[in-house]
Amino acid sequence: MSSYHLQVVSMDGLDFDGEVQKLLLRTIDGDVEILARHTDYCTAIGMGTARVTMEDGTERKAACIGGMLSVLKGEVKVFPTTWEWSEDIDIERAKAAKAKAEERLSDQLLDKEARVRAEAKLYRALVRLGSTGHQDREK
Amino acid sequence: MAGSMKAVKLRIKSVQSTMQITKAMQLVAASKLRKAKERADASKPYLETMLGTLTDIANSNTDFQSPFTKAAENEKWLYVVIAGDRGLAGGYNSNLFKFMEQETKGRDNVTVLPIGKKSVEYFKHRNVPLFTEEYAEVAKVNISDCFQVAKLICEAYKSGEFGHIFLCYTNFISMLSQVPTAASLLPLSDLRSEDLKSDGKARDLILYEPDSETVFNAIVPEYLAGILYSSINISYASELAARRTAMEAATDNAEEMIDTLSLYYNRARQASITQEITEIVAGAES
Repeated sequence: MSSYHLQVVSMDGLDFDGEVQKLLLRTIDGDVEILARHTDYCTAIGMGTARVTMEDGTERKAACIGGMLSVLKGEVKVFPTTWEWSEDIDIERAKAAKAKAEERLSDQLLDKEARVRAEAKLYRALVRLGSTGHQDREK
Repeated sequence: MAGSMKAVKLRIKSVQSTMQITKAMQLVAASKLRKAKERADASKPYLETMLGTLTDIANSNTDFQSPFTKAAENEKWLYVVIAGDRGLAGGYNSNLFKFMEQETKGRDNVTVLPIGKKSVEYFKHRNVPLFTEEYAEVAKVNISDCFQVAKLICEAYKSGEFGHIFLCYTNFISMLSQVPTAASLLPLSDLRSEDLKSDGKARDLILYEPDSETVFNAIVPEYLAGILYSSINISYASELAARRTAMEAATDNAEEMIDTLSLYYNRARQASITQEITEIVAGAES
């Protein structure tokens, strides 16, 4: 299978730079998979697990939240707000964050802004857990 | 002679204590710089590739539905100016402000969003309207502040308060050279390369999903926040590097001054001893 050049550049630096076969990630409009020779393309990234298939066929997963994806002249660039390779994710911390967010959300008196923030935290924790394979999806 | 010797001694002491301060500041800046440089290096690829990609998108964009891609509606400028919190950083702050002055020459509808205490002070003094003073301390600005600033800018831009958004920061080239730089942020049509603005050459079309307006509305606030955050990191590293260089020069100068002064002091001391001996000998002979 032919491969293409992918760059993942987040605010913390260059997270990935190399040849890949496939990139699958969740945009605001649903899951999208980019193969080689894709047309020029631009979209905004949602929240979800990104799967990158390397040149040798191995797959790496990452939690990918927000930002943008662009394909220009065969160069694929991902500018995520956060990008964490699944092996770098602290599972215990994500679980703790999830529990804490759930606890906050169960509070009926929570004002709107705090609720939005807690929900965002919960989603982030769920995405992190999801991309490590710890999927207990009650939601 | 004795009076001037005392003055020289005092001067040496005062220079010595100044040197102590500059030396300490140099060491502090150097140790902070290492961390700041790491952060700046990490932020640099984001800033550069992001601006590059958006320039490409702006070059081939044929869709002007989104308010962010349309040509500017009015000639009101908002400059985000990132300077330092403190002085004693050589030309760091003044170079940036000089550069800013050149940038804004001939534009009279300029509002500034200052980041950094020096930036707030400077523009207040010059009676330039300030957008917000909330982000006065550059060292305290974190990523969520950047998102807030980006949101503020987006809202102001959408409501037509400003027609152009610019960013002024100091680029970190190396430990010894930092250059003030300006970058256009909004509208995206401002990012277009000059030679493409006029000719009607066919452009490569880009597919936007679900549609360009939704995409830009989602991307632009994040893009602004990302650019702000990385340029703040880079500016901060520049500030520390500038301070380190300036303080190093000051310490060297102080050392040189002390050398000259002590040489002068020793000469004066010797001269006074010689004179005394001559006087004693002359007294004994008579």
